[in-house]
Amino acid sequence: MEKQNLICLPGQRLSLCDKTHTSGKGTYDRRGYIYSNISGIVDVVIKDGIKILEVHSPGLQTIVPAQGDVVTAQISIITQQYCKCYIKCIGDKILRRHFKAILRREDIKATEKDKIDVYKSFKPGDIILARVLPITEAHNYQLSTAENELGVAVAYSEHGHPMIPISWTEMQCIKTYVKEPRKVAKLIPENIHEDLIARLSETTTKV
Amino acid sequence: MDEQFRILHPIKYYRDHINNHIRPDGRELNKFRPVLVNIGSINTSDGSALAKVGDTTVICGIKAELCSPKVESPDQGFLIPNVELPPLCSSKFKPGPPSEEAQVVTQLLADIVKNSKCFDLKQLCICHEKLVWCLFADLICISYDGSLMDACVIALMGALKSVQLPLVDYDPAIDNKLVNEEQKNFVNIQGIPICTTFSMFDKNILYDPTQEEENLSSCTFNVVLMEDKLCSVHKPGGTPISEQNLMECIEVSKQRTNTICELIDIALKKNKT
Amino acid sequence: MPVDHKRINAPESAVPYKLFTKLNTESLKEQYQKAIRDGIRVDGRKPSEHRKIFLKTGIVAHAKGSAYIEQGNTKVVTSVFDPREIPNRTDYCLKGEIYCEFKFAPFSCPKRRLHQQDSQEKECSAIMKKALEAVVCREEFPNFQVDVYALVLHNDGSALSAAVTAAGVALASAGIPMFDIITSSTLAIQGEHSLFDPNFREELLSEIAIEKEHGVVILCVTSTHQQISHFHQTGNLQLNTITQSIDTLHNTCKEIVPVVQKCLVKSVLSVISES
Repeated sequence: MEKQNLICLPGQRLSLCDKTHTSGKGTYDRRGYIYSNISGIVDVVIKDGIKILEVHSPGLQTIVPAQGDVVTAQISIITQQYCKCYIKCIGDKILRRHFKAILRREDIKATEKDKIDVYKSFKPGDIILARVLPITEAHNYQLSTAENELGVAVAYSEHGHPMIPISWTEMQCIKTYVKEPRKVAKLIPENIHEDLIARLSETTTKV
Repeated sequence: MDEQFRILHPIKYYRDHINNHIRPDGRELNKFRPVLVNIGSINTSDGSALAKVGDTTVICGIKAELCSPKVESPDQGFLIPNVELPPLCSSKFKPGPPSEEAQVVTQLLADIVKNSKCFDLKQLCICHEKLVWCLFADLICISYDGSLMDACVIALMGALKSVQLPLVDYDPAIDNKLVNEEQKNFVNIQGIPICTTFSMFDKNILYDPTQEEENLSSCTFNVVLMEDKLCSVHKPGGTPISEQNLMECIEVSKQRTNTICELIDIALKKNKT
Repeated sequence: MPVDHKRINAPESAVPYKLFTKLNTESLKEQYQKAIRDGIRVDGRKPSEHRKIFLKTGIVAHAKGSAYIEQGNTKVVTSVFDPREIPNRTDYCLKGEIYCEFKFAPFSCPKRRLHQQDSQEKECSAIMKKALEAVVCREEFPNFQVDVYALVLHNDGSALSAAVTAAGVALASAGIPMFDIITSSTLAIQGEHSLFDPNFREELLSEIAIEKEHGVVILCVTSTHQQISHFHQTGNLQLNTITQSIDTLHNTCKEIVPVVQKCLVKSVLSVISES
């Protein structure tokens, strides 16, 4: 990987667009040239002999959740059929404005879909990891936790103490030892967290 | 991971900081943010001032107009402060009529001016029962980051101090007014009230809170002083505070009042030269 | 008039004192001749001279991006916020929307402005929206709207141009994907005089028919692709005067670009040094 501290601004011409150069994140091509989309630092990624030009904004990026993204969300309301939540982060990028999303009952687990109970999976206030489903006509984002790595990441017991997972379906309060049912996410230690995100996003691109 | 934690668990994030006697922006609990005053930069108005308290910026412009006085107070003019919190200053506000917060701040500001008697409305009288000045003081928040009242009061007082009114020749017999723009006089200000905002978080008092701190704290209150005299204390609900705490806050505000008054004076001198 | 219960109201009889100053007996023609004497304007500029521009980003702490522009005495603050769901909308749209709100502060003009948006401000909002739509990659945020607000603190002419330039900077500093940098400039024409970047008085005098040809032209140009994203003209002008003014304005817009670039590079550098 070749790294340069080249600052560019929107509309700046970066290079020719040909067989060996294509536009990546933060760039667009027009009439055979690649131009920058945002102000930031130019990054060249070489993949299969093709140079992909990318521009990374150093500050907070303006992004909206897209299909396939792994997001961090907080549950706000639960009902029999679905739960409502707010998307707070996309991958490891935080959002200033939180987007509303819905997690339907049948999208909570991959197996035994008819036996799922929303209230046995989530409680309001839980922080979950979820994947964004294809956007339909409806205005809300739809999420899914039907993967081992997705589900509740952080939860507090009724008495306000943090809980730790003890199985796929249960978490235990560290103070009162009360067990509560949850759809637990299989969390991976932080140091390989980035790998996970990379892997997850790879599977997304395959889909 | 710091930012992610902040957004997912704001209260815990703050508690962890405050238990170590430091705030997320690097201040200690009893430190104020820097204050900046600039007077008279807008010459389409008759008096203007910009006040910055940390990242909160308020600009005040005063426009003078002529009108007839109220029947019940024939020798008094008008001073009409209006605070606007446009959607420009924070994502908290939406376009449309003034938000509840804007209305509360407007009313509070009007009360402070009235109760502190810092500005005598009688000096706005040109002719008894016939003609008085009406000062429109429009305050606009440009950047919103907590302790709005502090910035509003400084901006309003700074702007008032710079108001120059032209001389008016008025002939009541034929209702003829002639404004002489060459001769302008400053208005008289009896004193400068200064507001200081505090927040309670758990059992700690945070001085000069930011927007985030105001949202997370259990109560926010402000103390207004004019030259060592207490002029108003506004504490709308929230958790109760002890008398000792309140006295401490008043004592601190006293010291701050003097420094800010000096700041306004310096800004005023800078404008005149 | 319904009473506005959400603000403190003034007596309705209030009138600006400027109405009672000594009457200006000069004809408009004389006034205009005073405004430009021997090819030099009141503020000492040549007709084709642009006022100095000061640009700064990061004025509004909690906005995604913001910019403050000072063009002579004209001062404008603009801010941009994160995309949000379009209110009152049920159908899906592929392209995002831009919502613009342009406002004069009540004390920004010689005459006091009201708090509600008036028709001129609405028109300016619409012009800003049209000008900015062309430079923002709207397909990057389908079904969302980006809010752009502009507040004129001091209007000394060319406020709309300043607002468009500043809004472009605010959008870029907010990290909103854009095709290009946008700059804008104003030209005031009266007879054979064409004044670049007019101040308030020049703008006002050019809108009145003193000579046969008069008017104000506003042009918004994208810098790299050299496209005109918006063109606005008022008054009564000959066709070839308009084409000529477009050419000259195009050059002025180009001259502003380095100022904008400098400001944006500065803001990128400051973010890098912070992190």
